[in-house]
Amino acid sequence: MKRRLAAAATLGLSAALALSACSSSSTSGSSSSGGGSVTLHFFGADYGTAGTSNTTQTYWQNIATAFHKQYPNITVDVQTIDWNDFPTKLHTLLQSKNYPDIIEGDAPQSYAQEGIAYKASDVLSESTLANLIPTFAKQGDYQGTEYGIPFTTSTRALYYNKKLFAQAGISAAPTTWAELQADAAKISKLGNSTIGYGMPLGTEEAQAESYMWMLGAGGGYVNGGGAYTINSAANVTAFNFMNTLVKAGDTEANPGTVNRATLWSDFAAGSVGMVGGSPAVVPIIQAAGKLTSSDWATAPFPGENGTVTNPLGVDDQIVALNVHNQQSAIQQFLNFAYQDTYQAQFDKEYDLLPATTSAATAEENDPIFGPFVKAIPTSSAYPTNANWSDVSTKIKQTIGAAVDGTAPATVLGQIQTFALSNQ
Amino acid sequence: MAAVTVAATPPQDQDRVARTRQKKPPTLRTVLVCAVAYLVALIFVLPYLEMIVTALRPQAELRDRDYFPHHLTFANFTNIWSTGLGTNLAVSLEVAVGSTVLVLLVAIPAAYYTSRRKFRGRGVFLILVLVTQMFQPTSLIVGIYQEFTNTVHVNSTLALILVNAGFNLAFAIWILNAYFGAIPKELEEAAMVDGTSRVGAMFRVIIPLALPGIVTALIFTFIAAWNEFITALTLTNTDSSEPLTVKMNSFIGQYSTDWQHLFAASVIATIPVIILFAFIEGKVVSGLTAGSVK
Amino acid sequence: MQETVDTPQAAPAPAAEPNRRAGAAAFRPSLARRARRALAPLPWLAPALALIAFVVLWPVWEMFQTSRQHINSYGFNLGDYGWKNYSTLFADPNLGSVMVRTVLWVFAIVAITVLISLGLAQLLNRGFPGRKLVRWALIAPWAASVMMTAIVFRWMLDPNNGVVNVFLHQIGVVHDYNGSQASWLGDPTAALWWMIAVAVFVSVPFTTYALLAGLTSIPADVYEAARMDGAGKWRTYRAITFPLLRPALLVAVLINLMNVFNSFPIIWTMTGGGPDYQTSTSTVYMYALKQFNIGESGALSVVNFGVVILIVLVFLRANRSALKEG
Repeated sequence: MKRRLAAAATLGLSAALALSACSSSSTSGSSSSGGGSVTLHFFGADYGTAGTSNTTQTYWQNIATAFHKQYPNITVDVQTIDWNDFPTKLHTLLQSKNYPDIIEGDAPQSYAQEGIAYKASDVLSESTLANLIPTFAKQGDYQGTEYGIPFTTSTRALYYNKKLFAQAGISAAPTTWAELQADAAKISKLGNSTIGYGMPLGTEEAQAESYMWMLGAGGGYVNGGGAYTINSAANVTAFNFMNTLVKAGDTEANPGTVNRATLWSDFAAGSVGMVGGSPAVVPIIQAAGKLTSSDWATAPFPGENGTVTNPLGVDDQIVALNVHNQQSAIQQFLNFAYQDTYQAQFDKEYDLLPATTSAATAEENDPIFGPFVKAIPTSSAYPTNANWSDVSTKIKQTIGAAVDGTAPATVLGQIQTFALSNQ
Repeated sequence: MAAVTVAATPPQDQDRVARTRQKKPPTLRTVLVCAVAYLVALIFVLPYLEMIVTALRPQAELRDRDYFPHHLTFANFTNIWSTGLGTNLAVSLEVAVGSTVLVLLVAIPAAYYTSRRKFRGRGVFLILVLVTQMFQPTSLIVGIYQEFTNTVHVNSTLALILVNAGFNLAFAIWILNAYFGAIPKELEEAAMVDGTSRVGAMFRVIIPLALPGIVTALIFTFIAAWNEFITALTLTNTDSSEPLTVKMNSFIGQYSTDWQHLFAASVIATIPVIILFAFIEGKVVSGLTAGSVK
Repeated sequence: MQETVDTPQAAPAPAAEPNRRAGAAAFRPSLARRARRALAPLPWLAPALALIAFVVLWPVWEMFQTSRQHINSYGFNLGDYGWKNYSTLFADPNLGSVMVRTVLWVFAIVAITVLISLGLAQLLNRGFPGRKLVRWALIAPWAASVMMTAIVFRWMLDPNNGVVNVFLHQIGVVHDYNGSQASWLGDPTAALWWMIAVAVFVSVPFTTYALLAGLTSIPADVYEAARMDGAGKWRTYRAITFPLLRPALLVAVLINLMNVFNSFPIIWTMTGGGPDYQTSTSTVYMYALKQFNIGESGALSVVNFGVVILIVLVFLRANRSALKEG
């Protein structure tokens, strides 16, 4: 019997070899202070599709190869995982104590709290550090010190379908809620089941859509001092207004269950009048092939009394872990990876925005990216509270109820309670 | 009683079909039965036809409101392989075959012994086995995750083989126990009188006779392991160690769902199971017969 | 089922040999023999026991441990938490409705599945042209993974262009794509019914096959006798078929109960348990909790575990006699 069991076990041999190759690598060079060769383990999110030409694996591998040429004693082992499974896989690695040295795609606060993260200033040169866009650099903050390093960013704007606008007799993009409501109503009456305004409050990214509306009412998730204000009067006003849109049938039905991806692809198919989005909508429009570049445009997001001047800005951060004591190697690699050429290359591949001032300046006049890039300096980012990722999950799972029959004040109040009681 | 009926049923079943065929022109009843049966069959197949149709849709027609696209494209089936699907297919096969083999190796002796001997603890053993059937990895996923990430360090393929085998063991033991029990013990006693050991008797006499039961256990385990999702999602952490089910999930992307590729991969994933079923459909009914009579 | 009479003289398993020798040397042969007898099954059962202990019992223990730890969503263990995860869980306002929904979910699916399968098994037990093809068609949901089936249904119910809506639009039931009528999975009640339908859809094949197996094992002469007595169709079914089908039915119900209680992929892929947990069963809710509170999720797993044990015990008790006979 034992022999048979062993035989069954060998079935997984190839995978075992592959795995052990990964896990042993980060420890192999633990004698960092000495001159010997060092292997860094990089774990990042895949912004493309694994195995295809647009996988982020290739992007990092190219940087790692170029880096290795310049620093022959440092090898960077790259591993990327698609966004969908990224949190699960990352948590599995952490819990099994297979710590990577560099993580791209996760907020740094929990690592800082646990005491296993390097300060940003420990792993970046002065000049690289100074080049980071200040709005996002602050996102890496934990108790007054910056641990995370913004790597890629995006801002949100209102995409609108010019063809549908023309059909409905609307000449310009809305600048206030009232205008948006009037426009959405006209578009949804065009027939052919057109959606006036697409409002994705499903579990995928409800926290972003909610935030855009809150900002329009002058609200937000936290106040200036970083205390949660999720059920503030401004936020309740925002959700009350969203409710009037939903009730009037100016949005898709049951927004609390509809995800961003669905509405983006509906917009690309020409059946949505307006939807909030990042530059990532552009390739979806192009792939669908239904709208030409003159059929759609972007505009600043409308607010209660005028366009939102501090729109939602999102960044993905890099955090370096100190578990394997690879400070100098990590610093050399990160300074190398933050060159403008690599930032630009990433933005072009994935329709995202840069995290460094120099790269942003270079992209300011781009016909598509320009407006998004210009919005960066004044954009509002998510809170940096240590429990934000838990609160964000809670928002994704429950905030849809606020446009689904439950009173907004109740729903927002419950989330506020959760945020305060799970600090 | 069980033994007799198991052996006798399949032929009798076919006789009945044959008899109807010989009858005169079809009666209204037969027509009605046929109509209902075909409708049922259609209902059960429709979702999978839709899956195939979507897999054949060109990107531009994906969100059209119609039943069939104007153009068909097979590109989704060919370019999907560039995403490393082959590796994932291999992992799925390793996991499914590995757990099936393990289940049979473990279940056959246990089922044989419990069907042949009355010993103290037999009832407890069978209840314990039954209780494990009540759980699925889903309900224990937190514990499985903790066990395999904190304490037991094996690669994910082996972990998946073990987990799938463990959770499918119960069904195999119960079905085999019933099947072995239905085989007259005189057969192997005769062999043992001739000097064959109990192990030898099991291999030479019982296993060949119990083949339908073994096949049933085999196919249940294989399908369960092949389709398992939760444990695989939780325990694998590299793209190349993911089985197909997890890989398919990644086509539901961050910005858009890649429906055509998702369904193309689904069609590909279903083919091995269909082939397996096609071979042994008849055996499953007779295998289950023993299980249910028990 | 015939039982082998267990006699000590019967040839022992070869693996028990060492024990016998040890027994001969012992002072009290009766004790040694008893030990030998107690250990004789081990070589046959040990692998199964080991596998169960390793893969099923160990996680149960780990799960219990986890439910008493304070673990954040990153998996960092922040220390012992006593019973706090449990008090959080029981104070959770969603728990009550989730549990009630779970009971309804399980009951509805098992009942509908069994009713449909009883009819289908009867139908497939008849001879008619193309029966083999129909049987094969029935296998489809069984062969395809549950997750895949759930995804296809979600796609077919898409409010913008799902084929279900295309069809309902053509026959005039759904007036507007993207409207509230077309948004089947957006409304908690409609979503639950659709998901119940999908769960029935994937449960029917196995159940039908199990019942079909039960039907084919009923000897034809029993029916002959009934016909001689002049019993009608319905009476024959009630007096003969159904009682003889009972063991098969019990097995099918038990396996379905467990599958449905634990069923996860259907709800997770079709609605994610939302909006606001309004379509979550306890398993789905456990998974939703796991994303930000592993400890409370562990506590709910332990509660679920208890519920399952309870179901099994009640079921075994209620059907003790039926399981024993045959």
